[in-house]
Order: sequence, then C-alpha cells, then structure tokens
Amino acid sequence: MNIKAALFLAYKTIIRGSKGTLIMTILIMTLAYVNLIFISSIFGGIVEAINEQYINNLYGNIVITPASDKIYIENKQTSSINYIPGVIAVSAHYINDALISYDENKDGNNIQQGKWKIKSVNVEDEKKATAISESIIAGEYLEDRDRDKIVIGKDIAGGYGGDLDYLSLGGVLIGDKVNIKFNNNIERTYTVKGIFLTKNNQADQMAFITKKEMESVLGVHNLSSEIIIKTIEKGKEKQYIEQIRRSGFYNEKIRTWEELTGFTSSASKSFTMISIILGVIGTIVAGITIFIIIFVSIVNKRRQIGILKAIGMKESTIILSFVMQALFYAIIGILLGISIILFVIRPFFVDNPLDFPVGWVSLKITFDIIKISNISLMVAALIGGLIPAFRGTKESILDAIWG
Amino acid sequence: MIIQIKNLKKTYDGKIPTHALKRVNFEVKKGEFIALMGRSGSGKSTLLHQLGLLDSPSSGDIIIDGINTINFTKKQKNEFRLKKLGYVFQAYALLPELTALESIYLPLMLSGVPKSQYIKKALEMLEKVGLSERRNHLPKEMSGGEQQRVAIARALINEPAILFADEPTANLDSESSETVLKLFKKLNKEIGQTIIMVTHEPDDRKYVDRVIWLKDGLITSEGV
Repeated sequence: MNIKAALFLAYKTIIRGSKGTLIMTILIMTLAYVNLIFISSIFGGIVEAINEQYINNLYGNIVITPASDKIYIENKQTSSINYIPGVIAVSAHYINDALISYDENKDGNNIQQGKWKIKSVNVEDEKKATAISESIIAGEYLEDRDRDKIVIGKDIAGGYGGDLDYLSLGGVLIGDKVNIKFNNNIERTYTVKGIFLTKNNQADQMAFITKKEMESVLGVHNLSSEIIIKTIEKGKEKQYIEQIRRSGFYNEKIRTWEELTGFTSSASKSFTMISIILGVIGTIVAGITIFIIIFVSIVNKRRQIGILKAIGMKESTIILSFVMQALFYAIIGILLGISIILFVIRPFFVDNPLDFPVGWVSLKITFDIIKISNISLMVAALIGGLIPAFRGTKESILDAIWG
Repeated sequence: MIIQIKNLKKTYDGKIPTHALKRVNFEVKKGEFIALMGRSGSGKSTLLHQLGLLDSPSSGDIIIDGINTINFTKKQKNEFRLKKLGYVFQAYALLPELTALESIYLPLMLSGVPKSQYIKKALEMLEKVGLSERRNHLPKEMSGGEQQRVAIARALINEPAILFADEPTANLDSESSETVLKLFKKLNKEIGQTIIMVTHEPDDRKYVDRVIWLKDGLITSEGV
C-alpha cells in the first residue's frame, strides 16, 4: 500500500472533482453530524431537566430519613454534615400529611379541600438547598419569623392550569386564608403568602410553613422528618453518604436522589434508549450516504480504476484513496457540524430553552456525546467508503477498462 | 529475446467456449517495434492483454526479459507491470483530476521515487513528447492527440522494458494519429524502446519493424 499515492489521488479528486458534489456531500455529512449531536443532546437535556427538577426542588443530592423504628431524625449531628467538604447546603424538614381547605366565599357553602404534604423549613437553609424560593409566581417566599403564613404549590392553589388543576383548591389568591388540619388533628388557619411553580408535579403539590410553626403544631423540638443535602456535584453521592454515615447517622436511611426517583430513573433510561436508537439510525443513514457517494464515484471512475491497476497501482492503494475521501467528507462534516452546534444551535437554545412539561430544556452537550458522535461518523464513513471501494477494485482490469 | 511466447492459449468459458488464442508462438527482440494486426475478433487485443499481464492465459508460457510470468501472483503481476511494462490505451485513458505533469509522475510516485526526482524526470518526459507548455493542463483542456502523448509519457516514465499500445490512434484524427505514431517511432529509434502495438490501420505498417498477422486466434504470417 502506498499511502502517499493514495493521499495524492484523494486530494486531487477532492479539489479538482465536482464542486457541487463536494459541497453536497459535506452538507449531508454536516447535517448527519448535527443530527447525531442534537438528538443526543436534546434527550440529554430532557433527562437533565427532569433530574435537576428533583434535585433542586425535592431531594437535593442526598436524603436522610429516620431509621425504620423511628418517626424523626434527631438533629444533633446535622451541623456536622455541613463540614463535609463538597456539601453546600443542608436543610431539615418536618413532613406532615394535612387536609387543606379553602372557602372562597367564606360562607361554608363551597369549601374546596384536599390532602397534601406540608413541609416545614428553616428558611435560610432551604434557600440554599432548594430552588423553591426562586420559583414563586405570586406573592413572596417565607421568612423565619412567619408563623401564620404558608407558601403553596400551584397544583394546590389552582387556577394555573395543568392536569391536576381539578384536584386543587380552585384558585387561591395571595392573602387568602386556608384552613389546615394536620394529621395530629390540630387545625390552624394560614394566610397564603406565596404560590410557586417548579414544573415538578411532586413539588408543586406541596406546601411550606416555617420550622418554628410546625414544631408548635407537632409539639416537638429540634427533630426532623427528613434532611436533604445538596452537594457541589452530581455523581459522587455514594462517597458523600459514607462520610455522612461516619458523622453519626448510623441507623438512618440515607439515599441518593437517583434511588428516590424510580419513575424518573426509568423515564431517563427510556429517553437514553430512544436517543441511542435515533443515534444508531442517524449513523447508519450517514454511512449509507457515504456508501452511495463513493459507490457512484467508483462507478463513474471504473475505467480510471482499471487504468490505475494497469499501470501498477495496488488495489489497497486505490481502496485507501477512496476511504481517505470518505474520511475527509466525515472530518469536514464534523468540523462544520461542531461549529454549527457550538456557535449557532447551542447559544440559541441557551437563550430560548424549550418549554417542556418537565421544565426548561436546553441542549446538554457533553464531551462523551461529541466523542461518540465523532467516532460514529468516522466509523460510518470508513465502512461506507471501504465497502464500495473494495468491491469496485476487485473488478478485473480488462472488465474495468473495456466494460 | 525480450519476449518469448510459447504455446499460448486463451479460452473464454461459456456455454460455447471461445478459443481466442490457439497455440500462439513468437519472439520479440529487444528494441523491436511490432504491430499486431488482424481483423476484428482475430485475437490481437487478447494477445496484447496476455503479454501485458492484464489477463491470464489458459495455458502456455510468457517469458519477459528471461522471467516466466505465467505463475505470477496478483502482487507479482502488479509489481512487474509497474516496473517493467508500460501501457498506452485508446484515448481518454488519463485521470480527469490530474494535470499532464501529475499523470506522468504518478507511476514514479508509486515506485517510491523521491519527489524532486520524479518531478524532474516527468518534466523531461513532457519535453520528450513535446508538451512542456501543457504540464499544468487537465485532460479536458487538451486535445485527444495531446492526451495520448501524455499517456505515452506516463507509460515510459518508469523506463519499461516493453511498451504496449492498444489501438493508440483509434480515437484520434489523422493528424494526431501521425504525431503519436511518429513519437513511437522516435522513441523506438532514439532510446531503443521495445514497442508492441495493436492496430487495425494498414498504413501504420510503415512505422513498425515487423507485423504479426492474426486470424482466428492464430498467427498467420509475420513480416513488414
């Protein structure tokens, strides 16, 4: 095999061949590549949005719940978690399933009610651990001194649309009073201070009051039903759990957000599977496109191939020259494609994220996606170029020259 | 002898086998310019293809420069064609993407000759075929005769022992044909190039040393 001669022929064919074919081929390769990255990235973005919703609004990265034989966690060790390197927030909650009632006309004739989860928060801790305080769509978030104030999710308030609106209180406004009957049968009235919308169904069906208020209702002090922990990065939760255990939580249940989001996890896997299937189809289409381009080129150059063989060029050198052409199309397609993705499509979606039911979705372009797409397209080009070149050069010299 | 052909046979298989060559025997001396002539279907092109190792005979021996090529592998044939044999086909046998200069130095590049040497040699060869001013022209920018002269230069660049030409003037006008044949004659006289040419033009006899007449796969006569 003569690499220099193969490169020479490939180069001359590319620069002196049909410009229209060259542009069209590169355009197809570019679009095939953009398609590969875009599909993977958009599904990655959806999965990321779902995961972030759960992390930012419900679970943080790690959730501690009481040991099997306990109702509460004792908070005496909680502060030690804050000192674990990489932990950025710790927020302890009381959780109570309560009946919330709303009498819009205050005449007792049309009372709307339902059972929802009420959590208590230490406001400053909670602001660091979750994004609920940033998701207020009416009114304001709680302050630590609030005692008769409540913040409710839009699926409790009602009037904001969505699948669960029919189960809501029917349109609670800021300043309205709601009555709450806690599961220990204590009843209190709260003024709605804020309504939030996170786009996470579970979060939007919750209500929040302050820790002090909940402790007064439950008659407990310095305990919690759950502790959520936010860490600086995703993916290393297991390491943090070991450190949390060592800091004194020997019997409590400690789980990662992934373990708690069973449905979401399977949805993520489904999206990942769809992404892989579409990626494989896209790669095959790109490979077939290159195959057709090289095949047509070989059919048109049948006589030239015969002449090259007649003057002593080895079949392997001719094959290599066609494969080099195919790889050139793929490399240029990748370079143009990555430029379009990074400088056009990605900035566009950063500025204009897609409004999905799971949240705002942008492209999640990772090094892995780029690496896999690059390899996929190169392999597709290699195979798509190799097969027709191999078949084309196997023809006898005389058949190739004289047909 | 540069070529010795012994009992060469070529049969094309099929429902009815075609005996294209039937026990052909002849010899070619170094520096001879030979024309293979005969009617269409006489076997002259088939014979040239066997001699040029472009096809494999059914039986017989082809001894070129003292080497019996009959049992050559595909790789050996390739190597032999590159280093020992040159070909000129009918018109339009150039790669459309290569200039005259590039077409000519391609065989040297395949032989692994350094760039500075193959460009120098290709320029000399272009001068020899009278196309120095056309060195950067693509085939589509040259006449049929000029293209054929480039093909001749390409065939000779590796200094082959034998130059095979398969109806090299078939697609050329009379003026270009004459130029090409005169070039063959000049190369034959000046550098002693052995040339075996298939032609159907009776007038071409005046350029060659010997004519081998074929009919129905057999040599019927030899002479000028």
